[in-house]
Amino acid sequence: MPFRHKNTRRIEGLDSNVWVEFTKVAADPSIVNLGQGLPDISPPSYVKEELAKVAAVDRLNQYTRGFGHPSLVKALSQVYERTCGRKIDPLTDILVTVGAYGSLFSTIQGLIEEGDEVIIIEPFYDCYEPMVKMAGAKPVFIPLRCKNDGISASSADWVLDPAELANKFNSKTKAIILNTPHNPTGKVFTREELQVIADLCIKHDTLCISDEVYEWLVYKGNKHIKIATLPGMWERTITIGSAGKTYSVTGWKLGWSIGPEHLIKHLQVVHQNTLYTCPTPLQEALAQAFWIDYKRMDNPDCYFHSLSRELESKRDRMAQLLKGAGLKPVIPDGGYFMIVDVSTLNVDLSGVDEKQPYDYKFVKWMIASKKLSAIPLSPFCGPETKKQFEKYIRFCFIKKDSTLDAAEVILKNWNKQTG
Amino acid sequence: MLRRTAPFLRHFLLERNSSAGHSSCSREAKMSRPVQARRLEGIDKNIWVEFVKLATTYSKVNLGQGFPDFPAPDFLTEALMRVVSGGSHMLHQYTRAFGHPPLVKALAQLFEKLLGRDLDPMTNVMVTVGAYQALFCCFQALVDEGDEVIIIEPFFDCYEPMVKMAGGTPVFVPLRPNPPKDGKLMSSADWQLDPTELASKFSERTKAIVLNSPNNPLGKVFSREELGLIAELCVKHDVLCISDEVYEWLVYDGKQHIRIASLQGMWDRTVIVGSAGKTFSATGWKVGWVVGPDRLLQHLRTVHQNSVYHCATIAQEAVAQGFQRELTLYGKPESYFVQLPKELQRKRDWLIQSLNAVGMKPIIPEGTYFLVADISPFKSDVPDVPNSDEPYDYRFVKWMVKNKGLAAIPLSAFYSEAHKNNYTNFIRFCFAKEDTTLKAANDILQKWKQEKTSS
Repeated sequence: MPFRHKNTRRIEGLDSNVWVEFTKVAADPSIVNLGQGLPDISPPSYVKEELAKVAAVDRLNQYTRGFGHPSLVKALSQVYERTCGRKIDPLTDILVTVGAYGSLFSTIQGLIEEGDEVIIIEPFYDCYEPMVKMAGAKPVFIPLRCKNDGISASSADWVLDPAELANKFNSKTKAIILNTPHNPTGKVFTREELQVIADLCIKHDTLCISDEVYEWLVYKGNKHIKIATLPGMWERTITIGSAGKTYSVTGWKLGWSIGPEHLIKHLQVVHQNTLYTCPTPLQEALAQAFWIDYKRMDNPDCYFHSLSRELESKRDRMAQLLKGAGLKPVIPDGGYFMIVDVSTLNVDLSGVDEKQPYDYKFVKWMIASKKLSAIPLSPFCGPETKKQFEKYIRFCFIKKDSTLDAAEVILKNWNKQTG
Repeated sequence: MLRRTAPFLRHFLLERNSSAGHSSCSREAKMSRPVQARRLEGIDKNIWVEFVKLATTYSKVNLGQGFPDFPAPDFLTEALMRVVSGGSHMLHQYTRAFGHPPLVKALAQLFEKLLGRDLDPMTNVMVTVGAYQALFCCFQALVDEGDEVIIIEPFFDCYEPMVKMAGGTPVFVPLRPNPPKDGKLMSSADWQLDPTELASKFSERTKAIVLNSPNNPLGKVFSREELGLIAELCVKHDVLCISDEVYEWLVYDGKQHIRIASLQGMWDRTVIVGSAGKTFSATGWKVGWVVGPDRLLQHLRTVHQNSVYHCATIAQEAVAQGFQRELTLYGKPESYFVQLPKELQRKRDWLIQSLNAVGMKPIIPEGTYFLVADISPFKSDVPDVPNSDEPYDYRFVKWMVKNKGLAAIPLSAFYSEAHKNNYTNFIRFCFAKEDTTLKAANDILQKWKQEKTSS
């Protein structure tokens, strides 16, 4: 009897995934891994201690409240009341999810419908496109463009063209996905830039899905601004955050969505029909860590600020090393990634697999010949923009000193070796 | 929302909104089209949200929601402590998306033994955020709009909304009680599918059947013959089987849990769902899995990588260590898989005795840590309300938790809307509780009975 069962329509074409491919390649311990965005630095000790304490408490090994462990949503509401400048109800305005990834999924499944259009700014964190497609909607891409004739020293050089952006909005536009600080460029959207987006959202009655997982990682001279705090935006914005990025514990897979009750309630419905509740012990430990840092939010010792300072010096070091090897980094204003123009090296890869974009081939070549890994930028682009970004690759710099030391050795010796 | 408003009013509303400081009320801006996706239609209600709240507010003794109030085993919590305190700090970072290698390896090893076939940990196993998310992946990966999915009633409530969210049509078939003629207490084995009725539910649109054995809420452990019946129909109609086996270790009276995937023609069309929460009495860890053929699991992987992507590393590492321990002790008396059902059987028997003594008639469960009891003698305390939109047992349970402080779950919660009034005299108790909790429940029931006989 023939087996007729194939995949459902909603996941058609969504099976490939850049991470599955590149994390396998970089798993070799002899390779200096600056690819996937995961810290190899230790999380703060008090965070680990809180989890150890929690492991000894019996009732914390059983189910907690589905939409978020009470002590965690309470802590989140306090922290975000400060940053958003408004009252946030822990029970109705917050949903705790499995990572920010889970928040993106709950938001898109809850609010995006078949036939909707969703604007995605390129380059984008790669999951936005398949998630929008899985919801039956159409991704509409708009690229960040380099304003100085392609000569880019800073993530601030990458901007949206307001007229081009306005053209992307129509009556079918259900939402725009904003990511600030931005992965992969590190761009921190300014108030003016956010206002342009906000004006369009209000004019076209569009929602805003604001991925702010790197919200604390903003470097000198820059300020993270929450689009939800702009006039008219709170009621149409879901703001997404991440414990993994806040506390350097990506493996805890806890994130949250914050927004008005009339939107969050739909995310809660998705959540109660997908995984129901997130792990209790991790939520409790996270809550305790938040209380510690909430109390010192105005203090430079607060991890939200100290991590940012630590990463700024790693950023500067990384940039110097890359320049020394003849590469052109785009200095990020935030986040822990840096994109680098590799075209100046003129590495000829035309003989290699024609069908793959240049950056894919470059990264694979670099892993094999230089034992250094990064991530190509093409997976972060829609089909029409891939060409525009294929000379860029992305490095992650939330790495311990010894990792950066090893990268330094490779980069210093780069020009001494032949291709 | 603002679209249809006159310009001056719109300006006024925007102005109001821009004043900083007093944002305590969120002005509910309704979009001119519905803001929520259609896939949420009809799935917004959830019994647990309501009943958990009631239990938290009123209950002195909670035999409602299914979680143990006794601790998780020492070896498991010690594993977590070890992992957090002594393990590499890289265990706080992402692991492999489809399952932490030590865990999928341990699961593959265990299920190879249980199923009698070779398993590849990378392609025949996937780790999920609880069995709940495993079920979600199954429906999203395999059920398309227009597909029918057979659900056996009574059922764990999430199956129905998950099928609907995937655009599928649930088709219900009931277990029917055949009470023993000798007046003895019913067993969950006495609740059975009618073979003809079951066969009639299969159509060319049938995509899958959801099997839950041991069954929540009845505690039924499907026999080999019963599973054979289902398997035959699946093979005949080329239908998939989503087999929820979270209570696989909780089987009593020497009964055996039989895995439908081990029956002829079934491996290739079955996805087995399992749970660390139920296996190791740690429901709050939310670690579950699916086991099955690559040609089905590949689609679940696609859903997983586009929804949660990774599960928490530390919990997976600790569960892996728990399984490694169990693999070395497999079949031995110290195995948790031997000790837990032994302990729970004792508690089951105690609760049965307790309920019997006060006049509630329990259905003896062959498995799980739930039992369902007929509360007819107590109905006089909670008068029926004709034409109520709530089934009787819902009202009874609410009254009981508020007035007696004892929480349970109404059986109707496990039935489709159309069948909610079929069995309204039954409520479900969870007996995975400390002896002190069960004793406290007994005290409440005894007192209640005394009040009835003396009044």
